[in-house]
Amino acid sequence: MTRINLTLNGRAQHREVEPRQTLADFLRDGCDLTGTHLGCEHGACGACTVLIDGLPARSCIHLAVRADGCDVRSIEGLRDDPLTVLLRRHFHEAHALQCGYCTPGMLVTARDILRRFPAPDEATIRRELAGQICRCTGYVGIVEAIRRAGAELANQPS
Amino acid sequence: MAETKPAPGDWIGASLLRREDARFLIGKGQFVADIRLPGLEDACFVRSPMGHASLRGLRRPAEWAERVYTHDELGPFQALPAGPDIPGYRNVAYPVLATDRVCFAGQPIAAVVAPTRGEAEDIAGLVELDLDALPAVTDAVLAMAPDSPRIHDAWPDNAFITSGARAGDAAAVAATAPVRITRRLRMNRQSIVPLEGRAALAYWDHRLDELVVYLSTQGAHVMRLGIAQALGISEHKVHVIAPDVGGGFGGKNRLTPEEIAVCALALKRGHPVRWIEDRREHLMAAPQAREHVYDLTLYADRDGTMLALEGDVYIDAGAYPLWPTGAFAEASMAVRNLTGPYRIRHIALRNHTVATNKPPMGPYRGVARPGACFAMERLADELARELGLEPIEIRRRNMVTAGEMPYVTAAGMRLDNGDYPASLDEAARSIGLDAIRARQRTGEPDGRRIGVGFAFYTEQSGHGLKEWARRGARVMPSYETCTVRMLPDGSAQVLVGIQNHGQGLETTLSQIAAQELRLDPARIAVRHGDTAVSPFGFGTFASRSTVFAGGAVARSCRILAEKIRRIGGHLIQTDPVETRLEDGHVVGPSGAAVSFAEIGRAAHVRQEMMPPGVDPVLEATATYEPADSSGTFSYSTHAALVAVDPLTGGTELLDYVVAEDCGTMVNPLIVDGQVTGGVIQGIGTALYEEVPYDESGQPLATTFADYHMPCATEMPRVRISHFVTPSAITEYGIKGMGEGGAIAPPAAIANALADAFRDSGAQFNETPCTPRRVVAALEAAEVPT
Repeated sequence: MTRINLTLNGRAQHREVEPRQTLADFLRDGCDLTGTHLGCEHGACGACTVLIDGLPARSCIHLAVRADGCDVRSIEGLRDDPLTVLLRRHFHEAHALQCGYCTPGMLVTARDILRRFPAPDEATIRRELAGQICRCTGYVGIVEAIRRAGAELANQPS
Repeated sequence: MAETKPAPGDWIGASLLRREDARFLIGKGQFVADIRLPGLEDACFVRSPMGHASLRGLRRPAEWAERVYTHDELGPFQALPAGPDIPGYRNVAYPVLATDRVCFAGQPIAAVVAPTRGEAEDIAGLVELDLDALPAVTDAVLAMAPDSPRIHDAWPDNAFITSGARAGDAAAVAATAPVRITRRLRMNRQSIVPLEGRAALAYWDHRLDELVVYLSTQGAHVMRLGIAQALGISEHKVHVIAPDVGGGFGGKNRLTPEEIAVCALALKRGHPVRWIEDRREHLMAAPQAREHVYDLTLYADRDGTMLALEGDVYIDAGAYPLWPTGAFAEASMAVRNLTGPYRIRHIALRNHTVATNKPPMGPYRGVARPGACFAMERLADELARELGLEPIEIRRRNMVTAGEMPYVTAAGMRLDNGDYPASLDEAARSIGLDAIRARQRTGEPDGRRIGVGFAFYTEQSGHGLKEWARRGARVMPSYETCTVRMLPDGSAQVLVGIQNHGQGLETTLSQIAAQELRLDPARIAVRHGDTAVSPFGFGTFASRSTVFAGGAVARSCRILAEKIRRIGGHLIQTDPVETRLEDGHVVGPSGAAVSFAEIGRAAHVRQEMMPPGVDPVLEATATYEPADSSGTFSYSTHAALVAVDPLTGGTELLDYVVAEDCGTMVNPLIVDGQVTGGVIQGIGTALYEEVPYDESGQPLATTFADYHMPCATEMPRVRISHFVTPSAITEYGIKGMGEGGAIAPPAAIANALADAFRDSGAQFNETPCTPRRVVAALEAAEVPT
């Protein structure tokens, strides 16, 4: 076992982990944060996307030991994040989810898209979503939700 | 998205936002893998590395021997006959764990249990298998050759069943018809890929004295039947719970060996055991789909009138039948749907449901019809090309019109109502057919070729007892059940036997209850997915839930409404027949009103306020089956606009339109979501998704690097036009529509490819139309690149 110290959803954590344990398994099994979902376990579907030091990362192919010293944020840690709150409302209104399994990873990635692209157009959103698989929706609602959220942000007085 | 404005208090037709969303948006959905229990152990499976082999034995690591279970240690299991109960069907058991033979790569041989999945996999990796390779059968057509190796030794050939459909005199027509179009069309095998794979967690609950099984399934009650039967346990001691289910699309509507094994392991180990399928296991061993081969000839007159269809259909069903119904529905539905909307009165079709060394075929959104639609609609386009007609013109000339309906097809499908040509015209208008033809004449500046393709389908839903009996179904899902319960405060619970797993049924069924009870949906809970909570029902599949469960909700609510009015009338001293329900109240002609809360209170805790002779408690149960057993048909025309690079074979979807009619829409927002979601899956079938097998039965796509899922960049924005022809046989005129979107895209897109190269006659008769296949088709037609 290896000791790791990290900030998880804003709180300091000191934990023992197996060197081979993935960050996703650490979050789900070690910390009971089951909002991080596993869809492929080889870094292709994006369901397990979390933020590591503010950047989206595939927690299924990221070893927990590599999170030592990092700031990790999962969907549970974005409950009150203003950007995620905005995205959640638009996901709801644009019917951007069906079974809900890909949704946490989608939201983390969508948030990152809005941080990097102010008021992104459809082509930008689609390109930036290319690493997230949704089997249910055909992406139409997801793309629309992100576009609407971006447009709303752009129209807000700064 | 469609906008509708139903009258105040009317909930049918309201685009209500989904109540399911809230939990998923904060990461609080509860899937099987999210459930935590003390002492939980993880299972994994030792799987066959070979496609076909004799299993001579197995050596387990001495240190971990007690954690490895073979069939003998886990069993005995009771027989679970699967497949249709009809003459001529050859049954064979799909063993929970292989005993002396393995018939596909990935078949479970032994189960391993350990505190974590990683440790279980470590132990599984130490198990040594003694296998003798046998020749593999990987092509359903070659499998029917007399000298083909056999998968099931006792069978005279490799077919589970050979059957067919005949009508009229196809041979006579064939002898004289001036035009004949003969093609081989192939829709290859694919995986189903819900984003959550299969999952099961089981334990014995000593307090309740029952086996509790959390299962990612589309139908908890039916799975209880199978689990109880396989384990030899009384059904009252099996409790199946389907929590949130991360997509199913048909694949989770069958009981699979791993799930039975987890139940047996829980009984052996004495503590909770779970198995969470990983993606590799899903791509190798979960139910797979499609894989049809059509050898067909379409006969026609010179004016384009379709006369007869004859030929063979081969369904690659994989090695074993899945409980309860096997893969026979594929073949029977393929031939019965093959003539689609066309007036073809002469058919001579044979179908072969063939065993191969591949995982068992399961149902997948559209079941058989994507293949049948692909075959028929490709033939229609080839006929149009042969005669120099626009593809939509050949359809217009042969399609059943509104005035001819109801129309019974040559294969016995009763097309009930609608206006098929109007949907075709709308799709042509919406995609801009005339403008596309003009654009094709000018050519593309980037050297690509563009093409437009159309495909029409019908989708049977709401079919009842006679239809399922005809198919020999062992479990006949010809009705649904609902219990509606009003609580003392006037809120309500709707308990149903279907399984919401992405369809928004918690929202739509609350709308139906709200409509009947005249109660705000926010005061109505919908509960499903638990054999201890809801009355018996069959689950969600076959585009059935809104028709069947919606009907059951409506009926049970009407029974309850009568009782509510009787009590309410008494409380406002009015004859119940003069009362009405309005916004959670019973209202009399004078305007006197009493709330459901007061009525609920009287019915439960203040019985002295009840009218004489009325029993306490507000609860009603009803079942529902549509009035006509032959079902009701949604339909749609899809049109695709593609741009193809002749050099690379890369195909881009420039536009995609759907002109559909599913009768009355309960929630148009959710209908659009289902259409779009179906279309993307159909696009996956058309262009990307395939599990190929080599000649030894090795699967060649076992990760998302090899198995190409449609992503946001590849998907067009799907544009949808609606027609509304209410069904005459269902409550509110609803028609099922959940699968339809997935049926037509392979046909529409292949037709668009053929249209792009129509001058050369290049043939696009195999899905997925990958760049390699497109280039091969162009080379075969000697298209300059």
